Amino acid sequence: MSDAIDCREARDRLQDYLKEELTVERAAQVAAHLERCRHCFSQARFEESFLLMLRIKSQRTCCPNALKERILEALRAEREPG
Amino acid sequence: MAEPTTAERQFDAEALPHLDALYRVALRLTGDASQAEDLVQDTMLKAYRSWRQYRPGTNAKGWLLTILRNTFINDYRRRKLEPVATDLEAIEPHAIYRNIEEVDPEGAFFSQIVDEKVLEAVDALPPEFREVLVLSDMEGMSYADIAEALHIPVGTVKSRLFRGRRLLQAALYEYAVETGIIPARKGAR
Repeated sequence: MSDAIDCREARDRLQDYLKEELTVERAAQVAAHLERCRHCFSQARFEESFLLMLRIKSQRTCCPNALKERILEALRAEREPG
Repeated sequence: MAEPTTAERQFDAEALPHLDALYRVALRLTGDASQAEDLVQDTMLKAYRSWRQYRPGTNAKGWLLTILRNTFINDYRRRKLEPVATDLEAIEPHAIYRNIEEVDPEGAFFSQIVDEKVLEAVDALPPEFREVLVLSDMEGMSYADIAEALHIPVGTVKSRLFRGRRLLQAALYEYAVETGIIPARKGAR
């Protein structure tokens, strides 16, 4: 296969691959590499755990209710005619 | 009270659901709860006043986060107090995967670290790395949307993310070793 990539290239692209930020062609090259390289496949799992963890940890913080109310109040004032 | 106009209804339906995301990003950018609250409120008022510029049904979250980030840069970031920017391109953190592949190849340790520690480590990143990481990996913005919001090329978004993630992984790894979540590497220390 002429467009095969090596481990170094695959590892450099792993995160962008997991974020679905590669072109179809480049993503296919990474996918093909992961199928035949257990080492890079394992690192992909590792990177995936990292990205998933960040997403989960961050989503637990919410906008405080007092702030929501303050903002709704400010918007109401903004909408008052005159 | 007068009936809400169509624009007002659209704003309520499309902008208000993103308050949680705006607050989270504001917290990470300012590092201070009360400043974060002011920043979110300023952002929402600005967004309301320029709502005509938003095309309904497009990416409201990205649009709002862009306003929030610009407001932060213009009104909140105390430039003079910031240390001189380090040469970001020179930061080339090594991959920690090699340290860990034998003890925890799937990175299970990441999810065992308490939320607070993870957020502290994020806050300790250089600001240029922190903002792209928060927008991309914590709030799910696309590289292209981040590039547009920050007025930098997509390639720069990518390289900052790459370095920022490596630095964060290294900090979390160090914490996990210190607290015994994972054993220290054989031969090291």
